[in-house]
Amino acid sequence: MIVAEVKPMDEIQDTLKKYSKVLITGCGSCVTVCLSGGAQQVEVLASSLRTARKQEGTPLEVGEETQVRQCDPMFIEQIRDKAAGYEAILSMGCGAGVQTMAETLGNIPVYPALDTVFFGGADGKGGFVELCAACGQCILSRTGGICPVARCAKSLTDGPCGGAQDGNCEVDKDTRCAWQLIYARMMRLGQLHLLKEITPPKAARVHPARLKREE
Amino acid sequence: MNSNAMPPCQAKCPIHMDVQGYVAAVARGDVQEADRIIRRTNPFPSVCGRICTRECESVCRRGKSVDEPVAIRALKRYAADYAGPGAGAEKADHIYPEKIAIVGAGPAGLTAAHDLALMGYSATVFESEDEPGGMLTRGIPRYRLPLDLVRSEVDRIRSLGVEIKTGYMLGRDISLQDLQKDFDAVFLGMGSEKSTCPECSGMELSGVWTAVEFLKDVSRGKKFNPGNKVIVIGGGHTAIDAARTCLRLGAGDVTIAYRRTIDEMPAGMDEVEDAREEGIRFEFLTAPEAFEGSGKVEKMRCVRMELDKSCGGKGKLTCVEDSAFEMEADTIILATGYVPRTEAVQELCTEGGDRLEIKDAAGATRTPGVFAGGDFVSGPTTVVQAIASGRKAADAVHSYLRGLDQSREAQEKVLRDLDDDVARLVPKAGREKPVCLDPGSRVHSFDEVEHVFSPEQARAEAARCLHCSLGAFVSRDCAVCLNCVLVCPYNVPRPGEEKAYIDMSQCQACGICAGQCPASAIDLGVEPKKELREKIRRVLDEAEKKSPGNFSFGYVCDFSKSRPGDLQGENVYTITRPGLGRIDVYELLAPFEAGAGEVLVAGCGEEACKFKDCSLWTRRNVQRASRVLESIGLEPGRVRIVE
Repeated sequence: MIVAEVKPMDEIQDTLKKYSKVLITGCGSCVTVCLSGGAQQVEVLASSLRTARKQEGTPLEVGEETQVRQCDPMFIEQIRDKAAGYEAILSMGCGAGVQTMAETLGNIPVYPALDTVFFGGADGKGGFVELCAACGQCILSRTGGICPVARCAKSLTDGPCGGAQDGNCEVDKDTRCAWQLIYARMMRLGQLHLLKEITPPKAARVHPARLKREE
Repeated sequence: MNSNAMPPCQAKCPIHMDVQGYVAAVARGDVQEADRIIRRTNPFPSVCGRICTRECESVCRRGKSVDEPVAIRALKRYAADYAGPGAGAEKADHIYPEKIAIVGAGPAGLTAAHDLALMGYSATVFESEDEPGGMLTRGIPRYRLPLDLVRSEVDRIRSLGVEIKTGYMLGRDISLQDLQKDFDAVFLGMGSEKSTCPECSGMELSGVWTAVEFLKDVSRGKKFNPGNKVIVIGGGHTAIDAARTCLRLGAGDVTIAYRRTIDEMPAGMDEVEDAREEGIRFEFLTAPEAFEGSGKVEKMRCVRMELDKSCGGKGKLTCVEDSAFEMEADTIILATGYVPRTEAVQELCTEGGDRLEIKDAAGATRTPGVFAGGDFVSGPTTVVQAIASGRKAADAVHSYLRGLDQSREAQEKVLRDLDDDVARLVPKAGREKPVCLDPGSRVHSFDEVEHVFSPEQARAEAARCLHCSLGAFVSRDCAVCLNCVLVCPYNVPRPGEEKAYIDMSQCQACGICAGQCPASAIDLGVEPKKELREKIRRVLDEAEKKSPGNFSFGYVCDFSKSRPGDLQGENVYTITRPGLGRIDVYELLAPFEAGAGEVLVAGCGEEACKFKDCSLWTRRNVQRASRVLESIGLEPGRVRIVE
């Protein structure tokens, strides 16, 4: 899933300073799961913005709405009429959600309330961790299900850099060296021989990637 | 949407009282509301608050799995005693022309009259004695049920327009035919007061009494001297009542003789315990053979019994050979069973028998329009059974008169027991005990033995309720983030097929998951979110109006010792709610929008909290709200916990 975090309040306030009526839109998918942009976060952000602007003497009227998924125009259409009554939209969706909303609504400015930070999963302790870089050419079959592109600080695909100490990354001591993890996992799986094969270089990515529906 | 399974206390109660409702009202200190909830289904709260056999407590899930059952009966009494006269019931908004005759002003008949009056019928009750109340006024001793309380409950029923005519006995002063002629329907609830006596010689001796006659005479104020040695024969509530009454009349040596063992006694264990405390002795497996004396009873000859439990049921009794022995007695009281007097309604009885023929659970007799219920049909039971029977009869009469289909009582699904893994995580809290007169002094008077809870005791006891079936449920907005699984202190939520699944039978209703759900997809049966938000809005509107820009807002837990008035400061506006775990960050911030200077949160601290980890999560939410305040340039300490 996509993991995002709420932007610093100053930045959000600065973005909205010229408006007096905005609609905050949450997304019921990934950003709800990572506790950043669901219905509850929408309420909290809306309330704090109203309080802050009331304190400043420039009251802000804030509407609240949460879609099932902001990254699909069909869900955005559901709020088209409501959105028309506002000067701007503050989206609590990921980058994809903000763009889909901006594209679909067209003539209303849509601003992000979140910074989209990575693709990842739950760490089992209530937090989230980056696990995938969406490189488009998955090599997990050769690396014991551990992605060196996303989890190695240098995204090396053919073995460790040699800088790890006690199994930890030289760039960030709180991060386990991805290649050390891969080696241990492959040993457990009895697949160490696969590591001797050289991973062919990946083709350069051309953005934006597209996925067409089969006809 | 709540769970459709009933809490066991409510399911087990013959009149399905909303136990949780009134217990929760007591917890938050709202005695009037508790009394209102109780009176919705029970016209005799003061009575049931004292002498109900509390089947509810026997199935309380707290008692079954955690520690001891919630003292439901004592809480009902507390609400009834403290609520005072209250506003009284609202009268019917529709009046029907039909008149209903009710024979017997015991709990069954009076409940039927009460319910019919509330439905809009004119009800007239005929009572053979000179005072209404049935066994409540004539059979239950004053030290268990003060007379003025029964009178005041009866007066409430009268105030609904019910006419009670005393001194009218069916078969003597009025006949069933007359009633059928003058009324549109008849309910017979004459009780079950005819004693059945063992086949013993010496029944004619003076000093040999039946318990009902004895208790009736005592309650009428007749002076009695039972002498020093009293034997009461029987094992039910009436036997215990008669024995304890004798002590209060001056007897020094009172023995209850019962032919089976303590395990088979119909009387409750607490009654047996009370009797023992007062010095009453028990002779089990003892049956009378003869009462002997010259003119006046002097002794009882009896035998030992043997009980073979292997054959099932209550077991098979046989006399032990050569076990005859004698017990001296100045008075012998027989409390061995009672049957209804059916002489006046022979046409309703089975062919050649003396039992009423009853056609359905609502008490229809073989004559259309004539219904019967209470002990008159069932034989001696409990006051709450009689109330239930009166209620069913009232519904049946209404259906009969209006040509409606008899509503059949739906079989309720009952919430299952707590799992051991959950039960062991529920913080223990001992049951409050009402103050009782000490056994040494109470036997010298008819003063009420058990006292009412103090308000502090009542709130503490009410806080022990586990809110069965009012826990958390998940809406379709669930994003399946499984945050609820992570935060629940009792490990109840699980990943479900389409959304998170919370087993209502295990949920403790602490609300922590609801406060932490990022999709706002979890709500509680205990004060749902909509109600909570409306309450917050109402209080904030009032604060904005009365103290604009100059007020504090407080959240106070219903179960904490703190009360709204304890929050220090000027213009503090508060709301209370059952548990603070579900107060989310938005709810902590919203008062600032309305101009609150501070938001105060009053719980009871980690140690005293009835919910595991509730103070931890409350503290985390307060810290989060503080950080939000800081991010918009307000002092973070403006939202804080006060203990």
